[in-house]
Amino acid sequence: MTVYLVALGLCAGGGLAGALAPRRHRVWVASLLGVLGCVAALVAAARTLLTGARATYHTAQILPLSGLSLSLDPLGAWFVATSAVVGLATCVYLVGYARHGMASRTALAMFMLFLLTLLAVPVASSVMSFMFFWELMALSSLALILSEQSRHGDARSAAVWYGVMTHVGAASILLGLLIIAAGGGQDFSQLSAQSTMLSPTAKGFAFFLVLLGFASKAGAVPLHVWLPKAHPAAPSPVSALMSSAMVALGVYGIVRVGVDLLHGGSVWWWVVVVLLGVASALYGALHATTSTDVKRLLAYSTIDVLGLVLIGVGAAGALRAVGLTSVAQVAMMASLLLVLAHAGFKGSLFLVAGAVERATATRDLDLLGGLVHAMPVTTLVAALGAASIMAVPTLGGFSSEWLLLEGLLHGLSAASTPTVIVMLLGVVAFALTGGLTAVAFVKFFGIGFLGRARSSGALDATEVPPSMRVAMIMLSALSVVIGLAPGVLVTTLGRAAATGLAIPDVAALGHSTGLVLAHLHGAVAPFELLGGLTVVMIVLAVGARALGSRRARRVDAWACGRDLQTPRMQYTATSFAEPLQRVFADVLRPQADIEVTHAGESRYYEQALLYQSRVADVVESRGYRPVISAALRLGRVARRLHNGNVDRYLALGFVALLVVLVVA
Amino acid sequence: MSSTYVGTLELAAGAVLLSSVMTLWRRGVGSLVSMLRLQGLALAVVAIDLGAHERDRALLVTGGLVLIVKGLVVPALLRRVARRDPGSRESNPRVNVPSSLVFAAALTVLSYVVGTRIAALAPGVATDLAPLGLATVLVGYFMLVTRRRAVSKIVGLLLVDNGIALMTFLLTSGVPLIVELGSTLDVLLVVVVLQFLMVSMGRHSRTERLTEMKALHD
Repeated sequence: MTVYLVALGLCAGGGLAGALAPRRHRVWVASLLGVLGCVAALVAAARTLLTGARATYHTAQILPLSGLSLSLDPLGAWFVATSAVVGLATCVYLVGYARHGMASRTALAMFMLFLLTLLAVPVASSVMSFMFFWELMALSSLALILSEQSRHGDARSAAVWYGVMTHVGAASILLGLLIIAAGGGQDFSQLSAQSTMLSPTAKGFAFFLVLLGFASKAGAVPLHVWLPKAHPAAPSPVSALMSSAMVALGVYGIVRVGVDLLHGGSVWWWVVVVLLGVASALYGALHATTSTDVKRLLAYSTIDVLGLVLIGVGAAGALRAVGLTSVAQVAMMASLLLVLAHAGFKGSLFLVAGAVERATATRDLDLLGGLVHAMPVTTLVAALGAASIMAVPTLGGFSSEWLLLEGLLHGLSAASTPTVIVMLLGVVAFALTGGLTAVAFVKFFGIGFLGRARSSGALDATEVPPSMRVAMIMLSALSVVIGLAPGVLVTTLGRAAATGLAIPDVAALGHSTGLVLAHLHGAVAPFELLGGLTVVMIVLAVGARALGSRRARRVDAWACGRDLQTPRMQYTATSFAEPLQRVFADVLRPQADIEVTHAGESRYYEQALLYQSRVADVVESRGYRPVISAALRLGRVARRLHNGNVDRYLALGFVALLVVLVVA
Repeated sequence: MSSTYVGTLELAAGAVLLSSVMTLWRRGVGSLVSMLRLQGLALAVVAIDLGAHERDRALLVTGGLVLIVKGLVVPALLRRVARRDPGSRESNPRVNVPSSLVFAAALTVLSYVVGTRIAALAPGVATDLAPLGLATVLVGYFMLVTRRRAVSKIVGLLLVDNGIALMTFLLTSGVPLIVELGSTLDVLLVVVVLQFLMVSMGRHSRTERLTEMKALHD
């Protein structure tokens, strides 16, 4: 625990350094302290994960009345490790990024505070401590979204959406926790002991209140509306932290409260969680395919991946409730591994987005292209990230998604009909999402990095500074390690999943570099797969050399009869997604405008053609906007009372006083 | 319980209410200030009488304070405003004077209906008079709402404050000295600030009628 406290102290020190150190040294001192803090947190988390020992700490200081309670168990340690890995990379990244943005005192201090809360939330072990760090996390990230306001004009509106959603969520969580804490006490261990005495209705009510808050943080549809606004508006290192660490804490909260505090409850709770996951996965993937803003695309893809994680968590909860604990553990392990893999690939992709924005001053895929020549390292990282999220074997996304699919398929043998139905739904969503994600990321990589530059910004791009490259490679490496040798994480993963579900650790997986599900007759060995693949490729290449003709013919590319090929003749992101957008028009409801400018007097020759296509978020425009406009209407009616006349206000007060006197 | 004590208390408390009703009747600024001074003096008498009867030194000090601030300083400050514009009157109140007096009577009845229930909690000579304080508050508030001139509004505000003070004296033999000191100084400050505000208002817009300043809203 000492190491962990040192980690928090280092992050706090980083925040102070960011706020107080002189301008020239501010960034590197803060980053260095942040890096050290993340390393310390990783060490503490790794120790807990390896030994399985639970460490606690309590101090009466810091929070009045209740004091601060921390407890590091394997489940929390897994999330601490996830946050620490991404934090480590973003702190390194910050050194290079600071020349582009985020070098102000406020931004640095808030960034370090945000990092601290990300490390602290999974460890807080009382209602007060948890809500303290949770709210601090929301506030610091809110400030960070606003920190690049001058560059992103819509940052303010994004911050309002985020602020409202996160505070409604926090209020809901607090209410749910208060119901559980009705018997007195506020320590999680006390709450866990007391909740057995609650009626099932009260427990269910508490769970759904808490779920509302955590699902909104995890970006589950229909509570996701803040996410595609906030991620693009935030500076890239912050988006990376938000997307890969903060959002995952929503999942942590669901597991912590649902299993640890409320002991699992009924199957229906978890069926709802799976349904939320299915909706998020499909909706997120679909919107990712049609987005042309790089960060918006990544944000929707975050909703998609978190949807898959929720499917896994829901499946684990449901299977646990019907008694299939060993399969439940596999599903839980899959979710946790996906959280870590997501931190690797989505973290690196957001850092790539930041690098691209820094180099080209745009995030619009329709204006990018050809970056592979100017930014080879960034392109490599982007390729690895995209391949990983598409679940290409030997990368992180594949290992975790394979595990999740195994869990879902074996869950079909459960004896409860609702469980079987949602497992099937999960599998179907899984398959469809996989295809859509592939489209989205082929577009992301193909349009953004290959081909020719579509704007002067993309043409003049240069590679980013070394620290940013190192940071991106670090996160990519995490994804590759999880992909190639998931076996090394199996013991700790199993322990974290078993703690999370409060079931005995059945050590379901055998020891090898790959994943071996001994009791479920499933195995995958990516390392051997990669070896075999390499051998086959070499054999083919050598064979082709030996048998084929040596002479290569070189000709110009066919250019549809034109002499000159221009960048405008390439596919754009919009045109690439257009067929899919047409297929799903009922869900996406795209709006397209065509504006034709005629040449001179003629109606038959056109000079210019402008095509615009927008895809608004249906949930936002149909679900949230009506509520907002109703509230505004109510406000306008109330405004009629307020006409600026002092006498009117005094008279209202007088009448109110008289009414109170008469009624009393 | 001496009859002097009871008689003085009833007379002074009655004078507080009477003076507030008189402010509704008289319209000249000069006579408004005179009524306010009378009320401040009557309030001081209430406090000193209670203090002497209960041998409460803090209450006596409070009484002295009320005498100085509400009986002398505040009226003197307002008198200076009045002298700036001699002969000015509340020409066009929202509710005319006879109706205002009827309203005042109704408000007094209402405060008796409500106040006797409060007084019944701890019967005594002083608490039985508490409805007078409530009536003063309501009359003051009524004045605040229906009069248009800024001076009249200040007087209304001071009536509300005096009414509250009367109620605290009668119901609880006064709040702790420090609280009373705070609220008295508050009122003094408000009067000073409003005086400055009124002078600058007069300089800018040549009117003290607040309704004509609607354009300032938002």
